[in-house]
Amino acid sequence: MQSLSATSAAGVLLDLSGVVILLLAFACLASKLFNRYVVYYGAQSVVLSFAAGTAAVAFHSAELWILAALTFAVKGIAIPVAARRLLVTRLALKRDAAMSSGLSTSLIAGGALTAFAYLVTRPALLPHGTVASAVVPLSTAVILLGSLSMVVRRHTVAQLIGWLIVENGVFLGAITLVATFPFIVEAGIFLDIVAGVLIMVVFVSGLTRQLAEASAAELRELRG
Amino acid sequence: MTGLAILVALSPLTGPAAALAGARARLAGAAQTAGAAVALGCSLALLVTLNGHAPLAGWDGFLYVDSLGGFFAMTVAGVTLLAALGSIGYVSAQEDSGELSGFQVRLYFTFFGLFASLMLAALETGNLGLLFVLVEASTLASAALVGIEGRSRSLEAAWKYIIISSLGVTIALAGTLFLFYSASALHLGSNLGLTWPYLLAHAQALAPQSLRLAFLLAVVGYGTKVGLAPMHTWLPDAHAEAPSPASAMLSAALLNVGMYAIIRFLAIAQARLGGTYPRAVLLSFGFASIVVGALFMVRRGNFKRLFAYSSVEHMGIIAVALGFGGVLGLYGALLQTLNHALAKAVLFLSSGDVALRYRTREAGQVSGLLAAVPVTGGALLLASFAVLGSPPFGLFLSELTIVRAGFAHGSPVFPLLLLALLGLAFVAFARTTAGMVTGEPPQLTSPYRGRAAVAVTAAPLILGLAALLVLGLWIPAGLDAVLRHSIRVIG
Repeated sequence: MQSLSATSAAGVLLDLSGVVILLLAFACLASKLFNRYVVYYGAQSVVLSFAAGTAAVAFHSAELWILAALTFAVKGIAIPVAARRLLVTRLALKRDAAMSSGLSTSLIAGGALTAFAYLVTRPALLPHGTVASAVVPLSTAVILLGSLSMVVRRHTVAQLIGWLIVENGVFLGAITLVATFPFIVEAGIFLDIVAGVLIMVVFVSGLTRQLAEASAAELRELRG
Repeated sequence: MTGLAILVALSPLTGPAAALAGARARLAGAAQTAGAAVALGCSLALLVTLNGHAPLAGWDGFLYVDSLGGFFAMTVAGVTLLAALGSIGYVSAQEDSGELSGFQVRLYFTFFGLFASLMLAALETGNLGLLFVLVEASTLASAALVGIEGRSRSLEAAWKYIIISSLGVTIALAGTLFLFYSASALHLGSNLGLTWPYLLAHAQALAPQSLRLAFLLAVVGYGTKVGLAPMHTWLPDAHAEAPSPASAMLSAALLNVGMYAIIRFLAIAQARLGGTYPRAVLLSFGFASIVVGALFMVRRGNFKRLFAYSSVEHMGIIAVALGFGGVLGLYGALLQTLNHALAKAVLFLSSGDVALRYRTREAGQVSGLLAAVPVTGGALLLASFAVLGSPPFGLFLSELTIVRAGFAHGSPVFPLLLLALLGLAFVAFARTTAGMVTGEPPQLTSPYRGRAAVAVTAAPLILGLAALLVLGLWIPAGLDAVLRHSIRVIG
């Protein structure tokens, strides 16, 4: 595996992108407006494509360039635009009221989860220092924050964005491995996400037609 | 041989092809059944050719079939065949009554075939990244099946299913990444390095701490698909709201594919970390699932939910068997997988017939099944006994093997606890199904048109029960060999 040490320029850029991605996940967790969720997710994906581009330069990998371009086009532009048109605007979503805990509580929980991510992914886990050291705990933290916002938010659209943030976290972790990760698998993951978003959008629209508000809080017919 | 393996994964696509060409339910169902039969035949042929020889591998490890994968492929293909047969009667009855539009019927068969094909493909790849891609894709295809009826309840169940499972499988992907991290000493440079056989062969070079985390994440992630407690919450809703043949596919095929992925990670973890840690993880999740499954079965209500909780319980039993380990434990786990798949397919398919005739899914409103519809009633009763582990059916044999493996494992506490929980599950489950089959039947009208439709509904029930009975009385030498080879693959 080619190495990407934390002190090289590419390593520093990758670490920095990881930090920005984490901050954007926090921003999403702290927000209450549907528009903002989509904007933060889009911005996060753009930074992610920048990180993929950085790795592409460092590894001289053509496949990584394609992935960076795909990330930018699909996650950075297509999904946010589609989410805004098909969900936020069409369903007239503004403020998200369906939360199971207050914003400050979820931010504190997010901080704790970030600390936890650093705790479980101590450098000892990664022998030979082959990956930019900060990226693994950062991506773990993004995964946990995305999961947290799925748990805290009960609106279906907010849960969908939470899942996409989790995906971004996994993708950030995958970039560090990408010198070895086969392109076909990455492409498959991409395809899954797009198909997943499509199917979820259909479900959200269907649920909205049937319920006054497509809030998972109101999904309580099935119990026990 | 490569051709056979490809045919296994591609032949269930006959259903989608027919549906896209605009066939109605009967024709599309027949095409789906034919495709599933071809898949089953090819998977059997593949097992015979593999018999103890080197596994089939190609395309940089993207294609990899050994006895274990072949065994699971056979199970999934068999269940697909039963469920496709059941779909003919169930979906065409719903089409005739106008509950499903022509578009919904085409959608159903498109996703049904796609779902089966993706699961079979997942069992035939050695690349762990591709395994994730295919498992996630099969989640999406099956979520469309769960929500197909478009009522608010089924959409709710589909939403719950897709969001929980997608998150779960994404966690499994994180686990896969950590597995690759743990292998950084190997300097994985090619696609071949990311395959299961390569990692297993080089297990000693993996970093143990990272591998431990990888295994735990994989069990939690793929365990979400298996329905291990506490990640099982999507399962009863999805099984209850999906059309019954699709419920059969979920319970008898999809859960097994998740378990298959866990077994692959278990093999690598055991090779490097020794047995203690992975077994402790599986025993904890396994017993949690059995307890949750058994307790929720006590509640009377929707009979499809009852069967779904029984699936949670059985997946727990399989996890416990893997946790007991040893040749006996693995043998029992694999045998249990096959038997449970057959029994649950019969149960869900007969529940579909009951739901069509009685127009309800509440157990309390169903009575006199044995008098009103002898074949379905008999199948439901016999399959209930089978699923509860009574002789002479296959599950008795496999559960006995698992309990024996438990006693061989060491402490007698675990197998005794398992027996007690099985007893509780027996009482809870039989209490509900006994009420359904006995008593006076109400006035019923047949939902089917013509005798052929009735016969085609009965066919998968009889086929499945016959197979269960055979497996209870006698394990064919070929199956025994396949199971032993599979155990050797896992190590």
